[in-house]
Formats: sequence, structure tokens, C-alpha cells
Amino acid sequence: MQRYILRRLAQLVPTLLLITMMVFALMHAIPGDPARMMVGAGDALDEAQLAVVRREYNLDRPVPVQYALWLGRALTGDLGRSSANQRRVGEELLLRASVTFELGLFAWLIAAAIAIPAGVIAAVHRGRVPDFAATLVAVGAVAMPGFWVGIMLILVFGVHLRWLPTQGYVPLGTDLADGLRHMVLPAIALGITSAALMMRQMRSALLEVMSLDFIRTARAKGLAKWPIVLGHALRNAMLPVVTVMGLEVGRIFAGAVVIETLFGVPGMGRLMVQAVFQHDFMVVQGSVLVMATAVLAANFITDILYTVLDPRIRYGA
Amino acid sequence: MARSPSLGRRTVLRGATLGAGATVLLARHGRAAADQPHYGGTLRVAYQLAPGAIDPVVGRSGGDAYYWRQFTDPLVDADPALNPRAATSLAESWDVSDPKSVTLKLRKGVVFHDGTPFDAAAVKFNIERLLDPATKATPRAAFGPVESVEALDEHLVRFRLKRPWGSVLGTLADRGGAMNSPAAVKALGADYAFKPVSTGPFKVAEYVSGSKVRFVRNEKYWGRDEAGNPLPYLDEIVMNIVPSETVQVSALKAGELDLIYLPYREVGNFLSSSTYNIQSFEGGAIACTLSFNWAKPPMDNVNLRLALATAINAEGINKAAFFGRAIVAKGGMWPTGAWAYDPTVPRPSYSIAKAKEYLAAGGKPGGFEMDALFWPSETNTAFAEIIRAQCAAVGIKLNLKSAEVTVATEKFYYGGEAPMFITSWSRYPEPDWNASLIYRSDGYYNAGKVKNEKLDALVDEGAATVDIPRRKQIYRQVDEIVLGKAMMVPLIYGVTYAAAQKAVMGVENVFGWDAKMYLHRMWLKKA
Repeated sequence: MQRYILRRLAQLVPTLLLITMMVFALMHAIPGDPARMMVGAGDALDEAQLAVVRREYNLDRPVPVQYALWLGRALTGDLGRSSANQRRVGEELLLRASVTFELGLFAWLIAAAIAIPAGVIAAVHRGRVPDFAATLVAVGAVAMPGFWVGIMLILVFGVHLRWLPTQGYVPLGTDLADGLRHMVLPAIALGITSAALMMRQMRSALLEVMSLDFIRTARAKGLAKWPIVLGHALRNAMLPVVTVMGLEVGRIFAGAVVIETLFGVPGMGRLMVQAVFQHDFMVVQGSVLVMATAVLAANFITDILYTVLDPRIRYGA
Repeated sequence: MARSPSLGRRTVLRGATLGAGATVLLARHGRAAADQPHYGGTLRVAYQLAPGAIDPVVGRSGGDAYYWRQFTDPLVDADPALNPRAATSLAESWDVSDPKSVTLKLRKGVVFHDGTPFDAAAVKFNIERLLDPATKATPRAAFGPVESVEALDEHLVRFRLKRPWGSVLGTLADRGGAMNSPAAVKALGADYAFKPVSTGPFKVAEYVSGSKVRFVRNEKYWGRDEAGNPLPYLDEIVMNIVPSETVQVSALKAGELDLIYLPYREVGNFLSSSTYNIQSFEGGAIACTLSFNWAKPPMDNVNLRLALATAINAEGINKAAFFGRAIVAKGGMWPTGAWAYDPTVPRPSYSIAKAKEYLAAGGKPGGFEMDALFWPSETNTAFAEIIRAQCAAVGIKLNLKSAEVTVATEKFYYGGEAPMFITSWSRYPEPDWNASLIYRSDGYYNAGKVKNEKLDALVDEGAATVDIPRRKQIYRQVDEIVLGKAMMVPLIYGVTYAAAQKAVMGVENVFGWDAKMYLHRMWLKKA
């Protein structure tokens, strides 16, 4: 088990390197003078000032050298300064990533909290009213884009009922209750599609397990329905659900871009989109590093969870 | 250009009397108002864009003004028409009569937020800082005429000029005229960009990245209202960064915000409700304009440009893309409200018959086909589509190409990639800013770098002239050429609308000459 974990960890390093290298190459593949791109269109800076920009960001050196310089500094924890606003990328990312992480975690928890019970109930009541109702809601949730759900939530709970704030972010450390109130609507808007997908996965996995021999045996022995479902079937059915839950981490990160913009949540998604538009190389590079690490970490944890849920799985051991 | 001493004295005098005049007017207004300003409270405002920097000098986005206006004063302030106004300026008076120098007499007793004195040495430091390429200051080019700066005594500063500087007063009202504390700049280095220290009515208390900027009252502020009460009235301003206009509107309705700028589609609803204080500013931008590459066929042909300009019905664009809430442009690139605005210059107007005549004169009686670049936004996409449809009616087929705004701008003006760009333009009331950049043969926005000797001469004369009536004549001649040859075709002037809760007072002062938010004189009625 330990060897397996170590090996999986070691595999993460080249993946990360490859990702940062590709992003670096892509940013430099954009046609045009990178210094002009960095300072933005128009007449903002003149030639003498552009020369300073080129020197500061090593744009006068070959791209592989620039990458090596960046990587060397990144290893010491220095991700450079933003070309758009001169702020330290590391500090900025730490602030923003924690916000997105908070939002993503809430969205994911809400999704799981809705999906697993709903999926179980739908499977147990297969073909009856609860199943149809859950399916209908799930199909609707997948079909509705997150930003539209967000706007509807704002209109209903913010403007009409005035129960919850419509925008902004309050750190949980500053004011826990207010922070949570600000988090509810964006987390629901972000998590609802994932909830639907997880729920469908839960339902079909549980149905499959429920048709297996050992469940029939348990029934034949006279066990009641719910102890069978919760005690025997659920754990076995969780395997594909965990896979989907792991994959949904990536989707939640991607969805955060839109939801953060809508609710004015100062997270990574917004930072990164802005940075791409502004050709802020250092920020793009830093955010990709953080996001890639998060998604890889989620996959890693999923793999470990497999072995916990199903002791038969011992990869390559 | 030589200038007589008498004119010089008059120019100085004008600065002083205008300032006094403004004070008198405001005083009368103040007495007429029934409400006595109330001190205290927090004003919650929203703006779409996060600051590129809060330091006015290094920020590169025009939207940064929403932030730096609140904690700075300009060396020479201006009223909404860009006439200089001494009463609210850091300089008490100025002498711009000598073509080789500009002299400013500074207000006494002003201190920076950190307690260090604002004096001639500080002005010298600030101007030298923005001229240094290493600062990467945005207004560096605008200060091109400055050769050197001398502190003549504690409160008298002189700029030595390389060439006459006609736009000096307007330029000092903009970001380069905001003063930063030399001590703080030296102490903070690159981190100064988000921790600026200036002279204005509010101080920057905190920037929460991507979320908000919080300003608190500057207890040592020099400014007084007409009754002699110290400014500002508010304890605190929270400028929330809310990227979605839809969400801004719903947050205002939910009572989470006090003041926002309204999107056009909401203006009708808000005007018909009496729940909010609404204020508007005409000519806040050139909301829709056609820009051409005068070297790239077919737009190198003046008749074909005129055909295009006369094929477009701006009234229709205003109705469909701006909900009828903007204004059809009647002048050139200096919009309504600016002193250089002149609606009497003849310009192409909508006429299908004329468009067909111009097409024939241009050698394309059956019409033609070309690429047109635009950058997508709710409004821009709408007007680009309308323009395409209107052009199709006379046989001009536009292939619309879209790109994100910076990319499109760079592609069109720097890359020369299309003959036409459908875009919007900021409010630049100082005419030289647009004239030098668009019409001069070496201007960045002269996409084809086309030389028109008469225009070059006029632009240079305008740039070197200080006297406003004379400059008006010069820019009228510029407009005659530009509009007559359809070099730029502004179609719609924007109207900026602000909406505030009923308790927010002073909304009539919210728009500065640049149509950006000024919160210096806002106050909150007690609930």
C-alpha cells in the first residue's frame, strides 16, 4: 500500500512539469510581441517603457531559458509578479485559491449530500413516483446552465425573499455565519449539475448491485430492506460513484469561473480568465500550476479511496 | 508660437475667476438645498472591473479612475466640460502663457495621508517618477512635452517644456495630475501600486483582491464645502467589485448596494420608479463609432467610406441596441458637453439615395464586400449586427469578425488586419488626446499611418495652443476634414446613468469630466 502511494505520488511530478511546460509554450505561441501583449492594447506604454518590461520579464531571452528561469524561481516558492498589476503572484494565488477551494468544497458537499440519498431512494423505489421525480429533477439540473440557475437563485432568494445576499464574499474566518450565508447561493449554483450526475450514477450503480446474488441471499435470509441497502449494497455501489465524485472536482473548478463572476466571489477562476485576457503570463502560469495540482490531488485521493472501499483492489502490488 | 504677455496675464486670471465663479454658483446651490449635509456612514458602491492598480500612475485601465478619484486631487481640476476649476485643485493658480514653461502656484497647508507635506518638491518627484521609463507609468506619453521640473520655492513649481503644451490643463486633471506621497513611494517600491498615499478626501484602507476596496475619511483633508464645512461627509466608502451588471442591479434592489451605474436596458424601469435617485450624464462615452484604416482598400476610398456612413441609420441603432437611452451623434469625436463639441460641422447623415450615389462615385455601384472587426459585448454585438443589416440594404456586405477587446484593438490599429473596426470610445474631452492619437500621421489610432499634411498641421497647432476660443476654431477645422471625409464616423454618444438609494444625497455631483464616479461630496440621510 505504501509503495503504491509513493509510486502514484512520484507520477504526479512529471505530469505537473508537462502541464506547466505546455502552458508556457502556448502563452508564447500567441502571435505578436509578448511585451506589447502584456501591457495591453493601445498606446499605454512607449518603446522606452516596453524595453523595461522586456528586461524585467526576460522576454528578450529564448523561451526555454525563460521557462527554466521561471521553474527555478517557482521551486523556491517565488512565482514572480503580475505584469498587469505588479502584485506578487504567489500571495495573490494563495488568497484566491483558498476562496475557490472553499466554494468548490461547499458545492461538492452540497452535491454529494443531495445526490447520494436521492440516488438511493430512486433506486429503492425504482419505477415508482420518487424515482420519476428524482429523474425529472436530475435531467432538469443537467440541462440548466449554472449561470442561469445562479440568476434565478439571486432573483428568488436575494431580490424577492431577501433571505440571502446576492453577491460578494465574506471570509469564514472573519464572520462564520455571514460567510456561510454568502456561500449558499453560489455553492448551489455551482454544485447542482454535479449533484444530478452523481445522483444518476448512484441510482444505476445501486440497482446493479441490488440485482446481484449476495443481495438475493440476504433477502432470502429474511433481512429487512433498508439494512440490506445501507449495510450491504451501498458500499459496493459506491465505487463508480466515487469515481464520478473525483472527476466532478475538475468540473467544479471549471464551473467556478462562471459562478465566481456572477456572484462576485474573488476566486481563482475569475483571476485566471482575467489573466488570460490580459496576457498576464505569470498569473496564468501560476494559476494553472495550482489548478492542475488540485485536480491531480483529487484524482490521487480517489485512487486511494478505491483501495479503502474495495480491498480487492491493490494496484500492481 | 509666441504669446503676448497680456494674454498670459489673462490666462492666469481666467483660472482664478473660473474657480471663484464655480464657488459662488455652488454656494447658491448649497443654500437653496433644504437638507443640511449629515456626517458619517458607509456608502456601498459597485463597479464592474477590479483595479489594474490603485496607484493612478501605474494602472493601465481607464476604469481604475473609479478607485483613484476617491483618494486623490488633481493638480488642476476641471468641471464636467473640462474647463479648469481652481477651487478643487491642488494648484491655486497657474500660468500657461509662456510656450516654453508652465508654472503652478500650489495650495498651502495640504498634507499627504501619511502626514508628509505636499509641496513643490513633491510635485517635482511625482512628475519625474512618471517620466522615468522604469516606472512604466501610463501617462508618460501625455507628459511628452515636459523637459524638466523645478521647485522655485516651497509652493511654486515650474515645468520646462520641449514644445508648447496646449493640453496641459486637461492633462493635469487626469491621472498624471494626481499626487503620490514621495515618502510612501520610496518606502513601498512595487507594492505601492495597491497601497497608495495621496492628498484626497478619502484614504485607501484596504484592498481585498478581486473583492473590494475600502476607503476611509481623511481627517486632515483640506477641502471645504460652500458653507465652510470640512469635506468629506462620509466615514467610509466600500467599492465592491461586481462583474455582472445584472447582479449589480439586483443587489441594489435587494438593498445591498447604495449606488451603481445602470445598464441601458434597466434605465426605463428605474426612471419609471420613484424608489431611487437617478442621475444621468450625456456624452459619457462615444458608445458606437466606425473607425477605418485609411490605407486599406476599400476604405482608402473616400466615396466608399461616405457610402457606408450614409447607409447607417444611427436612430435605429439607438433604439435597438441602447433602448433609446443614448444620443445620436451630431458632432465628432469630442462628445456632448465637452467644450470642443461642435454640432454645426456638416457630417454624413442617413440617406439610402446618397449612399447609392457615393457607391457609384466610388466605382462600386453594385456595392462591395469587406471584413469588419468588432469586440463582443451585449451592446456591441447588437450594434455590429444592426450595422451589418443596414449596410446590406445598399449592397455593402460586411463580414463581421470578432475578437476580445485588447486583441481586436491591437489587430486593427497595430496589425492593420481589417479595413473597418466597429467599436466604442472613452470620453476624451481634451481634444488633443484624440487628435494626436487618431488624426496625426504617427498616431497609434491612425491604423494605416496615413499622412494628411493639413490635418497634421492643425493637430500640431491645436496641441500648442492654450487659448480655448482659438483651440475651438482649430478643432472645428479638424472636424470639418474628419467628418467631411468620413475618416471617423461616431454614431452614438453614450449617456451614463447612475442609480442610488433615496437616502444617498449629492448624486448630482457623482459625474466628473471623465464621466467616472466622484464620491467626494456624497452623504447619507439619516434613516
